[in-house]
Amino acid sequence: MHGSEAGTASLLFGLNPMWAAAILFLITYVVIMSEKINRAIVSLLAAGLMIVLGILNQEAAIQGIDFNTIGLLIGMMVIVAITRQSGVFQFMAIWSAKKVNARPWGILVMISLVTAVTSAFLDNVTTVLLVVPVTLLITEELKVDPYPYLFAMIFSSNIGGTATLIGDPPNIMIGSATGLTFNDFVHHLAPLIVVIMAMVLIPIYLIWGRRLRATPEARERVMRFNEREAITDYRLLKYCLSVIALVITGFVFAKALDLEAATVAMTGAALLLLLANLGRDAEHQSEHVLDSFKEVEWITIFFFVGLFIVVHGVDSTGLLRLLAEKMVNMTGGNLTATTMVILWASAVLSAIVDNIPFVATMIPLIKAMAPTFGGEQGLLPLWLALSLGACLGGNGTLIGASANLVVAGFAERAGQPIRFFRYTLLAFPIMLLSIAIGMGYLYWRYL
Amino acid sequence: MNARILMNPKPMTLRPTDTVAVAANQILKHHLRHLPVVDEQGRYLGTFSIYSLLKLTLPKAVLDKYGLDKVSFVTENLGDLAERFAGRCEEPVKNWVNIHEVAGPDTSAMDIMLLMLHGRTASVPVVDKTSKQLEGMISFWDVLEKLMAEKV
Repeated sequence: MHGSEAGTASLLFGLNPMWAAAILFLITYVVIMSEKINRAIVSLLAAGLMIVLGILNQEAAIQGIDFNTIGLLIGMMVIVAITRQSGVFQFMAIWSAKKVNARPWGILVMISLVTAVTSAFLDNVTTVLLVVPVTLLITEELKVDPYPYLFAMIFSSNIGGTATLIGDPPNIMIGSATGLTFNDFVHHLAPLIVVIMAMVLIPIYLIWGRRLRATPEARERVMRFNEREAITDYRLLKYCLSVIALVITGFVFAKALDLEAATVAMTGAALLLLLANLGRDAEHQSEHVLDSFKEVEWITIFFFVGLFIVVHGVDSTGLLRLLAEKMVNMTGGNLTATTMVILWASAVLSAIVDNIPFVATMIPLIKAMAPTFGGEQGLLPLWLALSLGACLGGNGTLIGASANLVVAGFAERAGQPIRFFRYTLLAFPIMLLSIAIGMGYLYWRYL
Repeated sequence: MNARILMNPKPMTLRPTDTVAVAANQILKHHLRHLPVVDEQGRYLGTFSIYSLLKLTLPKAVLDKYGLDKVSFVTENLGDLAERFAGRCEEPVKNWVNIHEVAGPDTSAMDIMLLMLHGRTASVPVVDKTSKQLEGMISFWDVLEKLMAEKV
């Protein structure tokens, strides 16, 4: 077969490497989907087996890990861990609620925008972790049903995350694998995201928004909130905002400076760690640095590491190339048809299963299609379709994205649970609407 | 010395359907901190405490474990808090009970003192493991009284 270039070691039991890899890969997927075993454990174990079974040797396995994705994720997580302590996210939520005079629908729109913009630059889970508590407090003071607010926040976090390279893990992976830059994502996806965000608010308005009411006394209580009090440390806030501005500037000029995204994020993280710990003695520094590192989502990071190895193992046997050929044959080598298949399939699949392993698998598969569509440049619509499908598809069900589950957790603890079926009934069609808009956009601009 | 000797075998109790208002009045009148809640068969269901009262006076959103680190931006005055408290006064206490770690009738004095220390609580319910019956309550004052009465 193809693929021995990845450094295949001697294979155990004389199994055909392609079959061995395919079986291991399928079992890994099923176990990840069953959610009976922590996903980091599953992916690391499967990665180990890829090597033990002789499909990859260790050197080839390490080459399979996309350290640009890993570095970018860790760097941003450290920056967020420090920034969240400044209280700036609560500040933005309260400030925006007061800007609309605490009118219930106005607040829903503003909170959605804050969530979308924040998610575009930070991890979605972090964003909702920071904004949901304030939102619940505001709805409680207004005595309005928090459900529409939480529903809108799930959508805005996933939609906002689609707009930039760093907004959502699928984009980070796609960007890293294809060389699409921060500016490329903004250029190709941000205009569409603005439209989708506006369109998604329409059904939310029709279903709930027009009936949201709050008494003048309740609104007065929210207007009395003092957002300045939410800022815990002005000095820290200044450092955080400066470093974030610097990091985003770094992303924008990454190509011109010949820098990779991980370098920008990790250097930004190190700089912010330095600034935040100025004036602390060595012992306290260790304590604070450790605290920041602890907030990195290590489960996600190790999940990625294992997954990259597993997918690389499968890829090295030539299986994904074979699948890519089959898919291209199925669509008759037609770019429009292939784009649509990828868009809709990834949307529906991402609503049901974790989009990270899906995207990790699709990347080498799409890359293998390059000869059919006139080289790497010809693949752009396919990458955009994958990004849109994988990121927006997450809105379809409550388990479609980790941010959804975090919001549901808050709702549950606040005694206002979001039920799986009730959520899906509305969310799935609204998700399909967003994909349909995306389809029109891709067709109009790229096909 | 074990729980059976230390405990008050006839503690004041609440029924799960008693209202928050009833519980608050008992707590204020007798200066209690913890009231065990038992069903009609005398089985222990949880404890309604001064912490339950504090909780139900605050917005739910500030109580979440991943919630807000700081709430000084909320300018609620005593009137706002009293309004929320009054609004929840007619709720049954079962909505606000906490399940405390309990002792059995044979739990040793040292274990009970450790329970109080680590749980930062001044009273421990004594519950029969199999029948789940509330046998009594041990307060820190019971323990101190017995300690000081010992001849050394």
